[in-house]
Amino acid sequence: MQRHSTPEQSGGAPEQSGGAPEPPGEASEPPGGAKPLAASATRRRRPLAIALLATVAILAPLAWLWYSSLLPDRYSVMEMGHLDYGGGPAAASPDQAHGQHAEGNATSVADLVLDQQRPADVHVTLEARQETFQLASGRKVDGYTLNGQSPGPAIEAVQGQLVEVRLRNESVAEGTTLHWHGVDVPNAEDGVAGVTQDAVAVGDEYVYRFLADKPGTYWYHSHQKSHQQVPGGMLGPLVIAPKSQDEKVLDQLALVHIYDGVRTVNGFEGDISVSAEPGSRVRIRVINTDNGPMTVWTGSAYRLLAVDGWDLNKPTEVIDQSLVVTAGGRSDLEIEMPEDGSGVRVQLGATNALVLGGTGVDVPHPPQPDTSLDLLSYGSPAALGFDPTSADRSFEYSVGRRPGFVNGRPGLWWSINGDLFPDVPMFVVREGDIVRMQIENNSGDVHPMHLHGHHMVVLSRNGEESTGSPWWVDSLNVADGESYDLAFVADNPGIWMDHCHHLPHAAQGLVAHLMYEGVTAPYLIGEDTGNTPE
Amino acid sequence: MKSAYRILAFLIAAEVVVQAAAIAFAFFGLSKWIDGGGILDKATMESDEITFDEVAGFIVHGINGMMVMPLLALILLIVSFFAKVPGGSKWAGLVLLIVVIQVGLALFGREVSLLGLLHGANALILFAVAFHAGSRASASRERDAEAQYA
Repeated sequence: MQRHSTPEQSGGAPEQSGGAPEPPGEASEPPGGAKPLAASATRRRRPLAIALLATVAILAPLAWLWYSSLLPDRYSVMEMGHLDYGGGPAAASPDQAHGQHAEGNATSVADLVLDQQRPADVHVTLEARQETFQLASGRKVDGYTLNGQSPGPAIEAVQGQLVEVRLRNESVAEGTTLHWHGVDVPNAEDGVAGVTQDAVAVGDEYVYRFLADKPGTYWYHSHQKSHQQVPGGMLGPLVIAPKSQDEKVLDQLALVHIYDGVRTVNGFEGDISVSAEPGSRVRIRVINTDNGPMTVWTGSAYRLLAVDGWDLNKPTEVIDQSLVVTAGGRSDLEIEMPEDGSGVRVQLGATNALVLGGTGVDVPHPPQPDTSLDLLSYGSPAALGFDPTSADRSFEYSVGRRPGFVNGRPGLWWSINGDLFPDVPMFVVREGDIVRMQIENNSGDVHPMHLHGHHMVVLSRNGEESTGSPWWVDSLNVADGESYDLAFVADNPGIWMDHCHHLPHAAQGLVAHLMYEGVTAPYLIGEDTGNTPE
Repeated sequence: MKSAYRILAFLIAAEVVVQAAAIAFAFFGLSKWIDGGGILDKATMESDEITFDEVAGFIVHGINGMMVMPLLALILLIVSFFAKVPGGSKWAGLVLLIVVIQVGLALFGREVSLLGLLHGANALILFAVAFHAGSRASASRERDAEAQYA
């Protein structure tokens, strides 16, 4: 800078102009200037002082924001953010609610399990590996497997059975866990590293035990470094069959996953042939394991039997409307095969399809419908089993986006109720509460919001009330500009993640938790702990 | 400091050119990819695994627009306090304001596609204002030099 400095800037520089010589150390005047020396020096220092003040005024708040955003190397999820009681009674003491000093009567997450004496009905062992593997389609993928395959083996249980899954980590260096997406398991079985368990290190194992009490379509996936492990293949389907099954209905899984940018269905690319007799019915269990919504459509009629594992009431026939399955969400469609023996093509996105009928049946590509099915008015109303108008607590979960720092990194981050991670709300409830939750999105992008351990019922969207079947979700597609009013019963004590299932968004801080009063988590998150749930 | 101001201002103007070039490169690549049978939907887009080379244009546009340019604009404003460019802080503040509007249009404008028109037009305004700020610093520097050696 010195090279370009002018006499005006550099006090004490030798006077070049022909003006009167000035003592060294004094600021020089521009040529022709003949002002009193002391006054000119002050005049020049003042702009510098103002410039410095202005700089500090800009940089100091930024430095403070940066510093205060740094996350400790070890912290409990219970210390995160601020307690939000949703207008309900506060816990006896904030400490108790935050679980810092576990009182004698506090329950540890680790103790929230099923009766350990009860024997399991379904036994599964899953060995997790980080490796290069081959998809059913033949494509080689560098990622994660369970029992040497991805998607992992389908876990099947009948309603009422107790499922016991032994997860053994063979070679996943950063550790792993399994989360039972959509199954409202006891908290200790939820599989969230650093919240409900420690990540399972190489050579270790963890046993998950849960009751298959609600028939439907679910899936399982890692909740340790999930934004890497899930896209990399650490996942699989889970189906709970009803006690009495209609044998005439053919059951067809359709787990959709994108490996290395290529969409697959059950590991296959392109079309999958499914043999189905004319006049028979096929139940297609669509699971979207990716980070964005996926569209399903078919050239013939279908009925939407269930969403997120839970049945819809009196589903009617849908014609010429597509179906959006949100990230992490599931949808069960029923197709009635035409009597004339022609096939039916069910598109799972534009690149993949199930072709129902005999082998070699040629079914033309149906055009994608212009409109999609609105579940707000689909099916018929039915009793919810509780009264959402007499809620004990009401929470707001408003997703936005703003500049700031998260863990020292500047960026445009997702905000929850205006604040950035980890300054997020901790929704506190008491067992038995009826809870209202308003999820709002003004962030410029769609967010598939996923609450662990519970199903929420949709009451209204943008103020428009639900007039159709009770629409229960664990994963809800909240588009930009939408606002959903939901309700649920707090009937599953623990500490539950309530996050965006676009997993990179979660890793960017779009994560809050639902905490029951009197429950404490003995696990820690942070760089030093080996637990990174997102 | 005047040089720093001048360089930063011209750099921001140059960045506008980079942004325009990068996004055009990306969209050319995208349409070529689609012509070749590539299919894009939200879930594929969000998988971060889209397999055409020109996708780099989107990444450059995003990083430049959301990180580099706001940072440059902020530094320009701070430098302006010291640079003694006549009206320097005013123009630097204007540059920062236009950058903020530009990022806001990018993030929240998707619901209303017409805002995309503003995003494109605002880019040219940013180029003009940043270029003007740089030119003023050049002129001011020349005046200083003339005064010094007069």
